[in-house]
Amino acid sequence: MHDNDGIMKEIARALRAHRPPVSASFDERVMSAVRRLPPHSRFRLWSRLTTPRTVTVIPLSWGLLAASVALFAVIGVARAFDDVQIATKPMITALFPNARAPQPPQRVQFVLVAPDAKKVAVVGDFNGWDADHASYQAQHRGGGVWSVTAPVPVGHHRYSFVVDDSLWVADPTAPRVVDNDFGVANSAMVVQEQK
Amino acid sequence: MNRGVQIVVGLLCVARTVFAQDARLSARLDKPTLTAVTAIVDSARISKLPTAPLIDKALEGAAKGSDGQNIITAVHQLSVRMGSAKRALASNATPDEINAAASALDAGISVRDLARLRAAAGKRSLTLPLAVLTDLVGEKVPIPTATNLVLQLVRSGVKDAELAMFQRNFRADVDHGADPTVAATTRARGFVVARGGGATTKPPE
Repeated sequence: MHDNDGIMKEIARALRAHRPPVSASFDERVMSAVRRLPPHSRFRLWSRLTTPRTVTVIPLSWGLLAASVALFAVIGVARAFDDVQIATKPMITALFPNARAPQPPQRVQFVLVAPDAKKVAVVGDFNGWDADHASYQAQHRGGGVWSVTAPVPVGHHRYSFVVDDSLWVADPTAPRVVDNDFGVANSAMVVQEQK
Repeated sequence: MNRGVQIVVGLLCVARTVFAQDARLSARLDKPTLTAVTAIVDSARISKLPTAPLIDKALEGAAKGSDGQNIITAVHQLSVRMGSAKRALASNATPDEINAAASALDAGISVRDLARLRAAAGKRSLTLPLAVLTDLVGEKVPIPTATNLVLQLVRSGVKDAELAMFQRNFRADVDHGADPTVAATTRARGFVVARGGGATTKPPE
């Protein structure tokens, strides 16, 4: 048994001694073949991120990018404001129990009898005294009666009718405001929250 | 949501409001008037007065075709009246109360009477009582009489809805030819008695 082992070792030594040496060109060929293999996906992503490269950008794309960022910022701020309101509501209620939430505008009906009018609008501190405001254009209901039902915030307001874009008429059914700074009297009203 | 974000969002909202107001004014006022009105508005903002009524006054003047000097004068006078009103009503007065009190001052109500109303009303809103008082004075009810009637109504604890009804009834009486002072006194007495306060009068036999 021991003799067999010794013979086998002798044979192996003789074979190694007669094997031709591996050339350097063979190593090169093997390594270049390995490099040609597709890299692992993780390594590919990292390589893409870290390898310097030249990018060509047209100016319009910067504009689109800026517009997109601005749009997302506006939407984000709007959403954030809603979130802040919701999140802080319990805190505000706890800190200021007497503070009241903003009250929604109330629907108020304005009526004027003006048989000869072609156009009647309501103006006041609730619409910036704008006679062209679409929500405050009265409709002719027949018989010279003009009316419009429009939203008015809760609170104390001064207002008037403008007939045919030129004639200012105080509401005959409402109290007059005493101040007459601009030579045309206004009407006054207090809008209360409907409970 | 951290505090920094809340502050930024708050500032954005305030800025949006301020710029919107400025835009409305700049669209309707000429340059010198706009400069003067903006200065008055800024001054009021620093004094913690409501600025919306001042802007509305300027817009009203522009809509009525008034000249720049008239607009500036009207806005300035309103600012002065609101300052007096705020001092009379105490610092926690709401913008609506200050606005209504400024109208009352313009009608001839004294600062002292505003303070009496504030004291009588306690924490309730004075917006409607002041509007009713201004209306009574506008209908030629003498100021001392009108002030005392509204004071009685407020002290008796009438609600805003009842005050609004009082005002409607008073106006209906005047429209039908009643003397304003008699109508106001009679209507006010009715409400006070109904609330269980004030002097009682025997019904006619």
